[in-house]
Amino acid sequence: MLGEILNTYYLQIGSFILINIMLAISVYVPLSSGQLSLGSAGFMGVGAYTSALLTIHFDLPIVIGIIAGALAASALGVIVGIPSLRLSGVYLAIATLGLGEVIRVIFVNWDSLTRGSVGLTGIPQLGREILEFARGVGFEPAMIGIKNNQFVFLSIFLVLLVLVIVILWFVVRQQNSRVGRALSSINLDEKAAESMGINITYYKVISFTQGAFFAGLAGALFAHVIGYISPADFSYHRAVEVLIFTVFGGSEVIIGSVFGAFFLTLMPEVLRFVSEFRYIIYGILLVVLMAVRPQGILDANLLKKIKFKRSKGGIR
Amino acid sequence: MLLEQIINGITLGSIYAIIALGFTLVFGVLGIINMAHGEIFMVGAFVGVTATGILGWPLWLAFIAAIVVTSILGYLLERFTLRPLRGKKGVSHLAPLISTIGVSILLENLSHHIFGAGNKPFNTSFSQISITIGSITIYLVQIVIFIISILLMIGLTIWLSKTKAGKALRATADNLETASILGVDTKKIIILTVVVASAIGGIAGILVGMAFNSVSPQMGLSMGLKGLAIIILGGMGNVKGAMVGGLILGLSETMLVAYGDSGYRDAIAFIMIIVILLLRPQGIFGSKVSQERR
Amino acid sequence: MRGLNKKLFSILSIIMLLLLAACGGGNTTTDSNSNKSEDGVISAKFGVIAYLTGAGAAYGEAITNGLKLAQKDINALGEVNIELVIEDSAGKADQALNAAQKIMSDDSITAIIGPTLSTEFFAVAPEVDLNGIPIMGTSTTVDGIPEIGDYVFRNAVPESLAIPAAIKKAVERTGAKKVAMIYGNDDALTKGGFDVMERTAKEMGLEITTIETYQEGQSDYNAQLTKIKNTNPDLILASALYNEGAVIMDQARKMGINIPFVGGNGFNSPQAIAIAGDAANGLIVATPYFGDSTDPKITKFNEDYEAEFGKKPDQFAAQAYDALFIYADALKRAGSADKEAFKEALAATKDLEGILGKFSFDEVGDVIMDVTVLEIKDGKFIEFE
Repeated sequence: MLGEILNTYYLQIGSFILINIMLAISVYVPLSSGQLSLGSAGFMGVGAYTSALLTIHFDLPIVIGIIAGALAASALGVIVGIPSLRLSGVYLAIATLGLGEVIRVIFVNWDSLTRGSVGLTGIPQLGREILEFARGVGFEPAMIGIKNNQFVFLSIFLVLLVLVIVILWFVVRQQNSRVGRALSSINLDEKAAESMGINITYYKVISFTQGAFFAGLAGALFAHVIGYISPADFSYHRAVEVLIFTVFGGSEVIIGSVFGAFFLTLMPEVLRFVSEFRYIIYGILLVVLMAVRPQGILDANLLKKIKFKRSKGGIR
Repeated sequence: MLLEQIINGITLGSIYAIIALGFTLVFGVLGIINMAHGEIFMVGAFVGVTATGILGWPLWLAFIAAIVVTSILGYLLERFTLRPLRGKKGVSHLAPLISTIGVSILLENLSHHIFGAGNKPFNTSFSQISITIGSITIYLVQIVIFIISILLMIGLTIWLSKTKAGKALRATADNLETASILGVDTKKIIILTVVVASAIGGIAGILVGMAFNSVSPQMGLSMGLKGLAIIILGGMGNVKGAMVGGLILGLSETMLVAYGDSGYRDAIAFIMIIVILLLRPQGIFGSKVSQERR
Repeated sequence: MRGLNKKLFSILSIIMLLLLAACGGGNTTTDSNSNKSEDGVISAKFGVIAYLTGAGAAYGEAITNGLKLAQKDINALGEVNIELVIEDSAGKADQALNAAQKIMSDDSITAIIGPTLSTEFFAVAPEVDLNGIPIMGTSTTVDGIPEIGDYVFRNAVPESLAIPAAIKKAVERTGAKKVAMIYGNDDALTKGGFDVMERTAKEMGLEITTIETYQEGQSDYNAQLTKIKNTNPDLILASALYNEGAVIMDQARKMGINIPFVGGNGFNSPQAIAIAGDAANGLIVATPYFGDSTDPKITKFNEDYEAEFGKKPDQFAAQAYDALFIYADALKRAGSADKEAFKEALAATKDLEGILGKFSFDEVGDVIMDVTVLEIKDGKFIEFE
């Protein structure tokens, strides 16, 4: 029964949607304190390569690799974040974009470690490791009526789903806390926030580093889901793609990032039948969207209205 | 070898500078980074290829065609992607960035469909003319590119400081509202800016086609990113800065290849801007005031 | 404003509904045709993953065209009946994997051809292999492809076969001792080709004067070429795709570098001549496919291809064409569309006559075939002597 519902193709797309949601959040969090970071592709690459190299060469468990990857990315985030504080707006955007490119060029040239543009093969795959572990404790996928590869992708999907929920919970909690209020006050008016006694440096570095952490985490997971990475995965195109997730969905509310990543990951799959034209459609879509709704599809107003409608319906 | 590499570097740098001029003009007046500028440059190059290669037009006509087509593109860009965002409530500074990225994706993929994915040769007899001094060969195109970049820089500087339109443009750049109160037709000035910037991009496109004999839909991206780096290097919205920044980048890329590791060539632009942003965020020629205005 | 929001919201919900409907639609598949029909014709469905949108779309297009032509010819013979399911990978590893999953979710698929790029192949093949579905690369030339698993094959001539052959012949004739190298270091294919070139040059005891790189989208190679020129090499080994390679040759000739170039698999295309013109003279490549050959099989293929698609085929189209014939032959010998039987038959492929010559797999599923060394002379590819 369960075996017929679970289609690995959908689970695979679902997994990529979840990873992209993490990436979108990695842009959203710094943006909520007014910092536009285009370095997500670079941080993602650092996370992916760190975790992949550790698990390949030192046989470390994937969990440790992923944590190390995310931490390596956030360490870089702190190092870059502190001097970058002096920059804002487009300057920060271009500097972080540049950082991402520099990181990619290093991956391409550091041949002995990264095998250059040929990329790293044989990265342990998350789902297969889980399957092995499950078998170790005497569980067989057949026991719940699914095939091995269905189990592999189901387990990846579930792990990612749990992680995304935890991240969302954390970010929403943070927004409603002292930290979140500090961040949004910095976003609205940096000078006023400073005069109210908010430690701008501290909070800005915090939100920038959180962004780097989420991007690194997503990158490490990406490496272990796809099993193969090369520098081309972390190029300028990736950075722009991730930025567009956030801005398309709505950069003012976190649900916008989730929606943007969901919609824009699914769209190319759905548009497979017009695959020749899908990037043209993509380009037009962005222009039209910005002209009609520059704050993104979802914003606080729209959300309020949806909630309002729902509660009215409830009373009826 | 050093002399040859310096000539290579100056040629490349002049092209970078011309591209950066287009970026810096739009940024100076509108405060917007036009991410589609690289693709407009690419379209200019393709117009040149089509005009000289397929239609068999003479070179001067190809130049005019490229300028006309990119000017029209510039107008359309302003009309449909920048104007709807202007003066609208709740528009973040991200919106024009995203919308010009949309245009760049659109243009790149349209060229794919129209011209195909590969490189197109740009064969004109003009690009074969060369002068040989000793062991060094200099192509006329290289000299022309350098002269055009200098002329464009001087022309723009004079235009901005001496003519009425230029003064109106600077007034608009300083403060849009005040300028319009003072009777400047800001709408017209903005259109003019974007159109002139795009036409300069078109000129750059044709020059690159002639100098390097290669035109492809992807060429806009890497040139666009370099141009972006240069305007930071030279100071945002600064004409002289764009010129000097372009030459510095062209020369240092060439020298890196000549005496270092060519693998890091693409990184040098960004390493330079990261360093300059940390040491002198306003750029080499930028003033503190323009930094405040951002 | 409120009205607008409402409208937007309803539009949005319609879009979401459409998305869901589209998703649901893809699920209905019939597996009726995966067996022998009454008249003894074996039917099978093959999945194809190709790079059809983006910068390298030209390669994917050539490959799918070659496959379509082969499908027409094979089905006309009447021994087997082949259906192709083509999906786009856009040159990205994650989208290629999605495409593979989409194809594999249909149980009636017997085997897969593609993806186009080695970087996509490395992501896709392990997954396909685990699912017990045979997969074959037609354009993936990097080392280590068939070694991924038992179900992984390729008919693309690997660089490690083509490049040494070309270098050896070139050195024999020109007596070159010093070589300079240039390659694209941010592309897996050209990087893989460079690794082979460097290895070969060292094995042959050639002196490498300098190693230069370039990056994708670059149009100015003068700095690298000036440096190469000053080291006075006898031969230039250029691991480049024809797009960049042709431009490099053009700029080199203008600079007065008139020595021969040796290229890899990606350099071999009539397009190189179209782009560089006379400057392409002196390019030496090794390839299984010689487009201007007078071999009747190849001239017929060229004519049919041009009639069907309006342009000349290249090596990628020819290899894809042969690939489907290899599959068809294995299908015939397997006697059914069963994946396991098909894989066994495929691995046993020996001395199959294709348009590119006799073809066999070695024990890991790599290519055994002869390559021809070609050079461009007077604007035409001719056999190198």
